[in-house]
Amino acid sequence: MGKVIVITSGKGGVGKTTSTANIGTALAMIGKTVAIIDADVGLRNLDVVMGLESRVVFTSMDVIDKRCELEKALVKDRRVEDLMLLAASQRNRKDDIKPEQMKDICERLKEDYEYVLVDSPAGIEQGFHNATAGADEAIIITTPDVSAIRDADRIIGLLQNQGIDFINLILNRLSPTLVRKGNMISKNDVLDILNIDLLGIVPEDTGVIASTNRGVPLVHNDGSPGADAYMRIARRITGQNIPIPEMREDSFFSQIVNWFSRKN
Amino acid sequence: MDFRSFFTRKSKTSDIATQRLKLVLTQDRFDINEESMKKLQFELTQVLAKYFQFTMNSVSMSLKQDGNSYVLMADIPCGRINPDP
Repeated sequence: MGKVIVITSGKGGVGKTTSTANIGTALAMIGKTVAIIDADVGLRNLDVVMGLESRVVFTSMDVIDKRCELEKALVKDRRVEDLMLLAASQRNRKDDIKPEQMKDICERLKEDYEYVLVDSPAGIEQGFHNATAGADEAIIITTPDVSAIRDADRIIGLLQNQGIDFINLILNRLSPTLVRKGNMISKNDVLDILNIDLLGIVPEDTGVIASTNRGVPLVHNDGSPGADAYMRIARRITGQNIPIPEMREDSFFSQIVNWFSRKN
Repeated sequence: MDFRSFFTRKSKTSDIATQRLKLVLTQDRFDINEESMKKLQFELTQVLAKYFQFTMNSVSMSLKQDGNSYVLMADIPCGRINPDP
């Protein structure tokens, strides 16, 4: 029996979908069986971020309305074994699905997959309740800025109220240079404010844009700081004890090396 | 504070952000609605009434901000203690 992890944030644009795609891919790359559910009905994006848009035929709505079997609605990843996507319907609205229906899909998927990741939409309305309905655990994504952290705090309260107590934080798009200059809230301050456990830090990585353009999750781009961070996060999720390294600024020399070695 | 900011005497914007966040989150976290507050007051007085004699409408209760935390203030003028509660 696997576990269902919802990936959520409250605020939009902090990297929920990118993180879901990368964590799911990373988990599958280390040999786990993974199903990812896009819970952003009406505004689906996980399919394009993963480069699977041309393969989507059925959605979770088709499964709920019994137009198609759950197994048949799952889209197989192009690159990694045992990685499946259940896309969201683009022509429906979030309140067309009820929390019990999403919970049922999660329950069925975790019988066959070790990890079921749910990419939650932004906001705290119906879409959020659907995304969290079947979750055993939650991962909160935040960026180090006041609005994202404030919304994350609200989400933590709502999750706890719903009985989800295992909540971990991913601090996304941290820039060590800005932290040093005193223009970005530091990791320690974010943890002090939110008071939850840290699952990982993803540094600002311009490679994310190129990887989204291509539809190839960053973790395939071995050696980039973001890819390494997501791989470590995936290993921590599987229970491996991997310390969170202190973020280092790129030295002038390594910046030059990066500049010359950049293929994209 | 690092070397340069000491001389420019500009406070770090990250510190400003952290302070503002702490304040606004304290308010957010204790933003209790009136109905819940009334319910809390009712349930609390039900328990207290087993031990003390007092009139219900003399009770006042409120959440007061004290820096980065909140304190629940209850003003309950007590009468006689009930023997063997």
